[in-house]
Amino acid sequence: MALPPNISETEFASALNEFVGAVGPDWVFSSDADVALYRDSYSPLWGEEEERIASAAVAPANVEEVQQIVRIANRYRIPLYPISTGRNLTYGGAAPNLSGSVVLDLKRMNRIIEVNDKRNYALVEPGVSYFDLYNYITERGLKVMLDIPDPGWGSPIGNSLDHGVGYTVGPYRDHFGSHIGLEIVSAEGELIRTGAGAVPGSDAWQDFHYGVGPSIDGLFAQSNFGIVTKMGVKLMPMPETFMTGTVTVPRYQDLQAMIEEVNYLEDSLLVGMPWYGSPAGRGLFDPATNADLMQNGWPSVEQLEEFVSAQNKPAWSVTFQFYGPEEVVRATWTAVQRRFRDKFSGAAFEEEDFYNLPIPDEDIPALPDKVRLGIPSLEIFHIVNRNPMNDNDPPDGHADMFAMAPRTAEGVHTAARVIAEAFQELDFPAATHPFSTPVTYYSRAFIVGVVVPTWRDPAKNAAMRALYERCLDKIAEQGMGTYRTNLAFQDHAVSKYSFNDNALLKFQEKLKDGIDPNGIISPGRYGIWPANMRNNRG
Amino acid sequence: MRKLTILCFLLVSLLGTAQAQELSPTEASGKVVFDKWCEPCHGRIAGGVFGGFGAHALPGTSALGVKYKGDLPAVLEDRVDLQPIYIRTIVRNGLYGMPITRKTEVSDADLDNIIAYLTRNQ
Repeated sequence: MALPPNISETEFASALNEFVGAVGPDWVFSSDADVALYRDSYSPLWGEEEERIASAAVAPANVEEVQQIVRIANRYRIPLYPISTGRNLTYGGAAPNLSGSVVLDLKRMNRIIEVNDKRNYALVEPGVSYFDLYNYITERGLKVMLDIPDPGWGSPIGNSLDHGVGYTVGPYRDHFGSHIGLEIVSAEGELIRTGAGAVPGSDAWQDFHYGVGPSIDGLFAQSNFGIVTKMGVKLMPMPETFMTGTVTVPRYQDLQAMIEEVNYLEDSLLVGMPWYGSPAGRGLFDPATNADLMQNGWPSVEQLEEFVSAQNKPAWSVTFQFYGPEEVVRATWTAVQRRFRDKFSGAAFEEEDFYNLPIPDEDIPALPDKVRLGIPSLEIFHIVNRNPMNDNDPPDGHADMFAMAPRTAEGVHTAARVIAEAFQELDFPAATHPFSTPVTYYSRAFIVGVVVPTWRDPAKNAAMRALYERCLDKIAEQGMGTYRTNLAFQDHAVSKYSFNDNALLKFQEKLKDGIDPNGIISPGRYGIWPANMRNNRG
Repeated sequence: MRKLTILCFLLVSLLGTAQAQELSPTEASGKVVFDKWCEPCHGRIAGGVFGGFGAHALPGTSALGVKYKGDLPAVLEDRVDLQPIYIRTIVRNGLYGMPITRKTEVSDADLDNIIAYLTRNQ
């Protein structure tokens, strides 16, 4: 059995007994087989000494039990690692940052306390999944739409607290940005509510997020300052219709002007998530074609314009999603076309999907892309699971690497170029290219990303970790960080946010030492180590 | 051999359809758990085999379709060869992209019921 750091077997046995007293014997897991269920299935450290392995897990049913566990952990100086549904795969799953931590498994806290379709919010506990919340809404015929990440098994709380993202309209796609009110158990076991929730008897907890004084909500995302036990979620009223339309522009050098136009439309809240693409560059998904294009390094603009001409396809596309009454979405699409026609010679337009909402139940299974309609599924995994392209050696998981780029063509091309260089320097076929396009999960930033496979094979993982870290280094040299990463890379990713001699991290550590003096909440989460464990920094 | 497999598969499917209305209480409980925890990847949906990136496809059914290439059913509910120990091991250990499932998600009792459901036609 693994032990928490600096805790004897006798002390740990005594602490486990106290946990049993708090939650009952069925909900403390300490056998090797049970603790193994808290491994990160996609760990890039699988089977190695550095893999993050819990010492035990304890699963409370309510806030009072969470408070009891925190107080016990404080007495014994045992680190706790809270998880919500534990399905934050790619970013660590149910495994802790620090081996020997006791996982605080909040899956049993799965109450949907309220969904209000007049004021458009939900109030949920951590163990609620997007599937659960969607089913609750549809079974009751409530007139709201969720904004969801790809995997429906995730938790609205857990996803928001890891800065997760979705696919509908700008303000809703940023899931932490669209939370409204938190309930937190502090590191000392006190119960705190933020925003209007701090006013006893308030009915405006999910309406007013500030309260008065400093807002502390941001401290509880990607961090370790407390345990969130309830959260409000802002919901979009169910739109009457959904429509998509695609614009293409012909030349490689049209991208910057296209981005400026999309920024205008997105920042004016006229469109939902815009999807960039490259019809001319579509064949570069094949590594051999990509290698051929880049055989003499990154091509010149002239060469890229020639490449576009040879494909006889437009260089760039953007597909807009529209949500709202039919008259409005059609009028907006007309305005979008007029604005592009005015700016681009050779722009072309195609209206695509149109749905009345909500989609009838019988039509949902065959929908090709459910997430943009707020319908949870797990279909995204078919891209990374066994498929005809990896049939000989399917990966066991993946670690996604994201560069946060400015919303410019230069930003996109720079991120794609240095990621390609990182792959080539380490003898991997380049996964990005001059036609790589950004993803707009965050409406005010571009994400240029690659999916790095992981394995239950230490030798393969060592190469993948080197690749991942080389990518982080290369994007940082261009002034770009990432937004989210696996436990194995969090110290490395945080080290890139080093302005003024790491002033930001130093400030966070001062907070940590004051708020959680025994360092019991998630030591090491996103690079924040308590004073007595700073030598653990990787 | 392939034809024989397909014939057996069709017979079992028909048998399964007939028996769907006669699940034992344990099997019926297993189906409820299966539908919640397994069906989103391993369900039976027309076109639910790999259809190209971006196409509608259920990951478990798609992956097994690619793996077995028709020699075994891609849909778990159509299988007649699954052994309890195999189901238990895969659920608790994961396999390729399928992650580990914890006891706070699917309890041991729930897992026994899933096993009863998936082995009902043996």
